[in-house]
Amino acid sequence: MDSQDLSPSSSSTPSGDASSMDEDDVSSTAGIAKEAACLFNSQRYAECIDVLNKLLQKKPNNPKVLHNLAVAKYFLNGCSDPRALLEVLKKFKTRSRELACASEEKAEIVSNPGNSVISGSKGSSITRHQCAAANSASVSYVGEFDTSIAMFNTAVILFHIYEYVNARLVLEPLYQNISPIDETTALHIRLLLLDVSLFSHDASRAADVILYLANAFGVSCLTSPADNGGVTSQHQSLNLVKKAFLSTNNSTSLEASNSDPTASLNASENPLSRTQSDDAAKYETLLSTLNIDVHNLEKAADPPSLNDFSRSLFYHPASAGDLKLKLHLYIVQFLLLTRNLKAVKREVKELMNIVRGDSCVALLLKSQFEYTRGNYHKAIKILMASNSRMESGIENIFNNNLGCIYHCLGKHHTSLVFFSKALRISSSLRSEKPLKLLNFSQDKSLLIVYNCGLQYLACGRPTVAARCFQKASLILHSRPLLWLRMAECCLLALEKGHLRSSGLPANEEVRVHVVGKGKWRQLVLEDGDLRSKHLDPVEHDGRVLGSDSQLYLSIPFARQCLYNAFHLLYAVESKFSKSTLPPSSVSEEDKLGHSTSLKGLNHKNLPGGDSKPSNETVVSAQAIANGDAKELKGGTGLIVILQNSISSYEDLLRRENRMIKQAVLANLAYVELNLENPLKALLAARYLLRLPECSQIYIFLGHVYVAEALCHLNRPKEAAEHLSVYVSDGNKIELPYSEEDTEKWRVEKGTDSEELNSDLVTVQNPSLEEHQAIVFIKPDEACGALYVNLAIVSVMQQHLEQAYQYAIKALSIIPRSLQAILTAVYVELLLGKTREALARLKQCRHVIFLPSNAKLNSSW
Amino acid sequence: MIGVEESRTLLSLLAAEQRPLEEIVTDFNTKFPRSRLFNVCCSLAILLEDKKMFKSTQRLVAFTILHQTYSSQQPSANPFISLLVDAVCDDEAEKYERAFILQLLSHAGSGNNKEILKQSAADFIKGFDPSSHVFPPHEQLQQQFCDKSRPQSYSCLFRDASVKNVVPDPDVPNGCDPNSPEFDLQPGAKPKIGSGDRDETINGILQNLSLEGLGPRWIRPLPPRLPVLDGELVWLNPDNNHELLWDYGMCADTSRGAAVRDLIAKALKGPLAPLQQEQVLVELENDSKLVYHCGLTPRKLPELVENNPLIAVEVLIKLMNSSEIAEYFTVLVSMNMSLHSMEVVNRLTTAVELPTEFIHMYITNCISSCENTKDKYMQNRLVRLVCVFLQSLIRNKIINGEYFQLELFCYLEVIRCNYFIVAHPGMATFICIYFCVC
Repeated sequence: MDSQDLSPSSSSTPSGDASSMDEDDVSSTAGIAKEAACLFNSQRYAECIDVLNKLLQKKPNNPKVLHNLAVAKYFLNGCSDPRALLEVLKKFKTRSRELACASEEKAEIVSNPGNSVISGSKGSSITRHQCAAANSASVSYVGEFDTSIAMFNTAVILFHIYEYVNARLVLEPLYQNISPIDETTALHIRLLLLDVSLFSHDASRAADVILYLANAFGVSCLTSPADNGGVTSQHQSLNLVKKAFLSTNNSTSLEASNSDPTASLNASENPLSRTQSDDAAKYETLLSTLNIDVHNLEKAADPPSLNDFSRSLFYHPASAGDLKLKLHLYIVQFLLLTRNLKAVKREVKELMNIVRGDSCVALLLKSQFEYTRGNYHKAIKILMASNSRMESGIENIFNNNLGCIYHCLGKHHTSLVFFSKALRISSSLRSEKPLKLLNFSQDKSLLIVYNCGLQYLACGRPTVAARCFQKASLILHSRPLLWLRMAECCLLALEKGHLRSSGLPANEEVRVHVVGKGKWRQLVLEDGDLRSKHLDPVEHDGRVLGSDSQLYLSIPFARQCLYNAFHLLYAVESKFSKSTLPPSSVSEEDKLGHSTSLKGLNHKNLPGGDSKPSNETVVSAQAIANGDAKELKGGTGLIVILQNSISSYEDLLRRENRMIKQAVLANLAYVELNLENPLKALLAARYLLRLPECSQIYIFLGHVYVAEALCHLNRPKEAAEHLSVYVSDGNKIELPYSEEDTEKWRVEKGTDSEELNSDLVTVQNPSLEEHQAIVFIKPDEACGALYVNLAIVSVMQQHLEQAYQYAIKALSIIPRSLQAILTAVYVELLLGKTREALARLKQCRHVIFLPSNAKLNSSW
Repeated sequence: MIGVEESRTLLSLLAAEQRPLEEIVTDFNTKFPRSRLFNVCCSLAILLEDKKMFKSTQRLVAFTILHQTYSSQQPSANPFISLLVDAVCDDEAEKYERAFILQLLSHAGSGNNKEILKQSAADFIKGFDPSSHVFPPHEQLQQQFCDKSRPQSYSCLFRDASVKNVVPDPDVPNGCDPNSPEFDLQPGAKPKIGSGDRDETINGILQNLSLEGLGPRWIRPLPPRLPVLDGELVWLNPDNNHELLWDYGMCADTSRGAAVRDLIAKALKGPLAPLQQEQVLVELENDSKLVYHCGLTPRKLPELVENNPLIAVEVLIKLMNSSEIAEYFTVLVSMNMSLHSMEVVNRLTTAVELPTEFIHMYITNCISSCENTKDKYMQNRLVRLVCVFLQSLIRNKIINGEYFQLELFCYLEVIRCNYFIVAHPGMATFICIYFCVC
């Protein structure tokens, strides 16, 4: 903005670097620029490029010309390398910044003397605000230095190559200071931000934009000074504009606002939406508003920018109906993301009425709805119906979604077939020519491959699964769950005996060498522990990737993954803790925000750029939650729905995160024990035990891990304390958890069962649900394990008799467990009860007796 | 722990009961590489635990090897020193064995030691005189040979808890004593049921032994896999396409905006002519974004307010949605109070809803300006202005409910306490307002 502080003479020239140019040149370049724009609009890109090149000769190194040249070239030839395009845009931005800074410095000199009085008298606080203002303005220079289009284009490319986090980083500053940006671009920015938010599961930001769109479309045509309608985008001004609306209420009528596009600011408000806000609770009426506003849009073709606007808003034949439909689709997507199934149901119904069952996208959403609420067969039916209308390019989506459904039906192999097919189709998309950005985002393989990984994991193929997850990590690396799954791959490989470890696979055989004959016959028990140690498989010394960049699963790698997951979880958590203020304090907070913003401590200027995005969303969510926001016209009902969705979604996320955290910590403790780091294992397990609302299963695991770690640290007494949590009077052990705990563990679906029953659609099939339950040892087996471990702890405390008691009890519960038998043998040997120990060994099914005569004879 | 070849060599060394011990030791050292010594010695140590396993001469040879292998170092550095000491003090052991070990230990390095080693194991046992030996107590030996000052390395109880994994399982007919010599293999005789060869057993054990023994079998349950969460599988929907945008700002004609910018720049320096003012307002009205590009920044606002309050009001109304509006308000609140600034605020209050904090601060600012003005005349004027302003606020805000009234009431309370009213002639108006509010 400061670039405009140029003196009158310089500001009359069109560009900062052209002050020496004479008037003729200015008008001729403007003419050529117009011509290029026309050619671009009529999609004659080759000619457009010619014209641009001509322009470039007149204005060499003009960043905007270069930018448009890159854009036109992209449209002509497609884009084989989005990164290269990003590089071009980056150069443009730096060049513009440089130019802008140069002219800004000039402006500083001009404007400083005039300001010295003020800054002198008002002290430091004012100057600080001025700096802040200059900072926020730096995002959008006007005219020749305006980089907003280039930034948007950067975000578009990032969006198409799945870099949602980076896209957010580019978009967010634009969005925060969107008002100076012209309405067409602003709408593009909002729509893109909405997509990015939905993809990166940021419900509150998505709600923010949806609300804006609903309000903007619900108020008036988009190009007149109706920015006032879009107040929600600027939450800090929520309260400020209320009065403007109130004052317009009485003075205008529907006819007036429709027929008079040049009416004053206030008159442009659509009074229909006024009456609506009175009738606030009914969300359905939003749709009727939309209907009417669609007419508004069509009629009000007066302002010159509107044509432009509607042309660029939709790349296909633009109609206001599209806009309305689009908003609808977004709302459904949002509600599906937040799993507000009740609202989705209503919305989907509405949506199907609009498209009359004839939209592939709508059918996909409907199918997703049925899938989300567990009505899998219906979901398949709808999906099949959508397939007949499937355009080319989204077959991979169809197959992927079928795969999802079959996974939920517990048919992992079928599901795998579909996912693989989806992957094949995806890879063929990349061979299309010319390659457009769309092709990159249509190629969903990096997402599908995650689904694949889950199937392989479910089918017990850890190495392939890990490779899938590794690929998916290119775009999903910020999700803790991905890292947990990777670690699970390692543990699965360990369980299957593919990995070297210090721990013991649960059901192994014991080999006993029979040495000598007759009186001198001796038995040598081979410790499985040792065998696996001496087995010595290929050692990768901690390297995760081999020379062929293949992923090697190992326990240290599992640990690395788990630490990644843990840190990401912690980051998510700190975000939650900010937004989980009780309702009363939310409004307090909001007020605080207002007062501080007055003092210039606007949250935008808060230090720590890293935390900014989350900070923003928190505040805006509060703005929505704030009762004041309800007075906004149009989407009052929508606000309530969005707000409810967000809060229940955040609850859901919190619950899920808690589950993930338990799993991560338990795995971590296990892995550390395995790596013989008892101290770290102890830390992780203790952390696990301290988690609020920890599942009984994980509490059990936590105690067992802590106890083992303590044993390794020569603290058997404390270990015993941890195990005796489950010991009641008379050395009896209570079940550490119940059968239900394995099932309760699932996150409840977001629907009330009553509604589902009334639909008669979801007779919950127990076998269907089984695969979602946790697979873990049965409670009585856990009991047995506790007895075994108690026996060992007692041995370490030199209580051999008690150890014997425990060992015998363990055997009575889990008589077939090799571990229990070996423990009994071990204790008996310690007690010198050799005869009993031998008898026990000889009865055990898992023991293999190996004669060693052959070896002797050959050597003797 | 040791291989077939090694165990055969070892057995042959142990069996040589007639050879001088010295020779056996030399043989042992040449036949086994240094790296294997510990393993072999460990095996011997384990086998020595079972007193029946070795013949008495074999035991002596084994003890000699355990001692002599490490004799070049301090006795305390011998890893088997405590085993040797224990063996001396073992009351159940044969006396000749205890005496033999004691001699080995106490004459380490001296010539006497050599004497012993020159004998064979069988000779030592034969020439042993049981009467002439006194065994010192355990503590004394320990003090003598095991250096306590050596730091004990950390030992994990858990791992040390293992038990010997060699279990005798004599295979003799029921009711027979497995220890009776009748089951020993007689050379040349047909082996009978229950008989076995001791050396064969030793050999087998040597090959199958492990260092660790049988350890405790802690059950460490594998953590369950996290079930697939509800939204975890990625369901796909077709993307909305977002295409690159053309930048229409390229070499654009900016003359119209430039005109307004010029006018605004002028407006900062002095009042505009009515026509010019009209032009600015119309242009701002026509292009809603122009206000952001007209060259106004928060720090320039005071000049605009002072010179052209009407334009300032319009601009501020248009900037209501801007993210910078807070900055503008901050500047407005803290600028020097004047008729024009009051006019701007007054007009703003009727056009848009201002944050209550802003109005608070503005009124506070007004009052402190009144107080700080030294010139009595100016002060009077200011006070009157403030009164009118407040009246106007009340008049316009009265519909907004008691909320605002209450705040103003509080202000007046503060004012009264400060003797503001008493000190100034405008007091009457204030009292008016005061009652008006109450």
